Amino acid sequence: MKVAKPILLAEDNPRDVELALAAMEAHHMADKVVVCCDGAEVLDYLYCRGPFAFRQKGNPLVVLLDLKMPKVDGLEVLRVMKADATLRSIPVVMLTSSREERDLRESYALGANAYVVKPVEFTQFVSAVKELGSLWGLINEPPPDPS
Amino acid sequence: MEPERDGELRIPRGETETDDNDQVESSRLSPESMESAERPRGPWFRALTIEERILIGFGIAFLGVLAICALSYSSIRVLLDNGGRDTKSHELIQLLRDIDIATDGAEKQLRRYLVTGDPLYLQNYQEVAKQKREALHDLHSLVRGVGEQERRAERLGAVLEQQFAAQAQAIAKFAEGGTRSVKKMAFDGVAKREIEEIHRIVAEMDRHEREALRRRVTESTAETRTTSVLLAAGAFLQLVLLASVYSLIRHDITQRRRVADELKRHSRLLEAANKELESFSYSVSHDLRAPLRHIDGYAALLRKAMGDALNERAARYLDTISASAQQMGRLIDDLLMFSRMGRQDMVRTTVDLGRLVSEVLEGFRLDLQERHISWTIDPLPLVIGDSAMLRQVFVNLIGNAVKFTSTKPRAEIAIGIDRQTATEVVVFVRDNGVGFDMQYASKLFGVFQRLHRADEFEGTGIGLANVRRIVHRHGGRVWAEGILNQGATFYVALPRGEERA
Repeated sequence: MKVAKPILLAEDNPRDVELALAAMEAHHMADKVVVCCDGAEVLDYLYCRGPFAFRQKGNPLVVLLDLKMPKVDGLEVLRVMKADATLRSIPVVMLTSSREERDLRESYALGANAYVVKPVEFTQFVSAVKELGSLWGLINEPPPDPS
Repeated sequence: MEPERDGELRIPRGETETDDNDQVESSRLSPESMESAERPRGPWFRALTIEERILIGFGIAFLGVLAICALSYSSIRVLLDNGGRDTKSHELIQLLRDIDIATDGAEKQLRRYLVTGDPLYLQNYQEVAKQKREALHDLHSLVRGVGEQERRAERLGAVLEQQFAAQAQAIAKFAEGGTRSVKKMAFDGVAKREIEEIHRIVAEMDRHEREALRRRVTESTAETRTTSVLLAAGAFLQLVLLASVYSLIRHDITQRRRVADELKRHSRLLEAANKELESFSYSVSHDLRAPLRHIDGYAALLRKAMGDALNERAARYLDTISASAQQMGRLIDDLLMFSRMGRQDMVRTTVDLGRLVSEVLEGFRLDLQERHISWTIDPLPLVIGDSAMLRQVFVNLIGNAVKFTSTKPRAEIAIGIDRQTATEVVVFVRDNGVGFDMQYASKLFGVFQRLHRADEFEGTGIGLANVRRIVHRHGGRVWAEGILNQGATFYVALPRGEERA
């Protein structure tokens, strides 16, 4: 098991965070989750600065990125990540309410690795989170950290 | 039991029928209608379209030009005619003078000959006499067909002949008896009476010709004056006519320009409204779903937290909360799709309806494992359209057929061509399900219009509204026939062949 690497959840709504964590808990993945409440915090985490200046080095397993966030939105975070050589290889899964075509198109154009629309039904949401967790946390082999 | 009775979410039908509104709008803006509303004229004139008025105006102007041409032509003919006759008159007068002079000349030469016997005078005489004959010949041809003058010329000719004869006689006598025999003649002059007669006739003809000449000049002057007055009047009328046609055209162009401006303004407003709508539905898509997710999520968490402590009634309440949140989620999804189908750009290609329908059926296969349905699918045509949108049409129609036959032990669904013409093809989807009462047929295609209770058949009431919107965007029609408890048939008429891009 790749215990060391966390799953980074970028989500501004505390209820969504709680529900996501509850879903992760059902599959025993909650302890691996780091939560950021806006895009700026995500970038701080990725670049080990601000409150994350002293965190353990290394990229997360996967970033679950909400589109609509205060300060820096999801698409902007994605743009920065995919333009940065050290962050480009981190898998990014858009996790959003929007099924709008332009969001899908823009996300993939910027290099998103997957796009998941949060289902309204909680049971479906739980199973979606489980699938995501098992794919990116267990099945998928993450890229090696840049030396 | 069922809090989501569809009646609570109903919105006024008229507001969603954009297609009908468009038609009203466009007919209100047509140039003809504005035209007739603003121009108080004679009833027959008002009944004409602007094109007919312009045509009539140009027609009259054209006839006017024709009339002016005819008038000018006849007038010029008269003037040319008179001119020709004037020339002839002048020639005639000249000839008469020549004859007059030649008569005296010949007489003088003959007398000298008779007195002197010098053959040179005889030669001169014969020369002048020949000229006289020629002049007389010309005179005849000039006056041919001109009544009085012709008669006078004939008499002149006759008298001249007599004179010639008398002179010829004198010459002969001189040749016989010499100067002595013709002495008297030489002094008195030969054929004096004839010569006087000749002078008289010539003078008469001259007077007469001058008179005719003067008359013609007067006539030409009058003719010219009348013609110029008529031409001036005609030209003035033409100007007036052309000016009024011009003002008609100008008026029409101004109208059209105003209508075009109006249309442009409307389309800008529409564009702005569309943009607003788009950002609105974007927000709906993002923000409206989140609380619903929370309701369902926390209901689930609550159920889990309570565990066995949850009594039956509380469990039912939680289920209802979840069900309502999920129903609203579906409504939002369907509404968003409905809105998208109205705004989304169409990608027109040739669509094989047969293949499209079989793919749709393939999509239903999993849901239909428990059902017994006998399908009758006829070969379907190619149409021009947006394949994703047309797929949505058949997903809805076939989905409805499947749904509304679910209460029947033996369901029958048929899809085929009802009829095709050169311009459109009508495809039907028929089922033997619960059908509907024809008096509600008009309500079928409205947004949130449902003919069944929510606990009978599930659904959001948007599917058929979506079908209609898509078909209308393709320039087609959609309608339905049904008999309660016996089944329903939905018809989709799609234009075939070349379409504007």
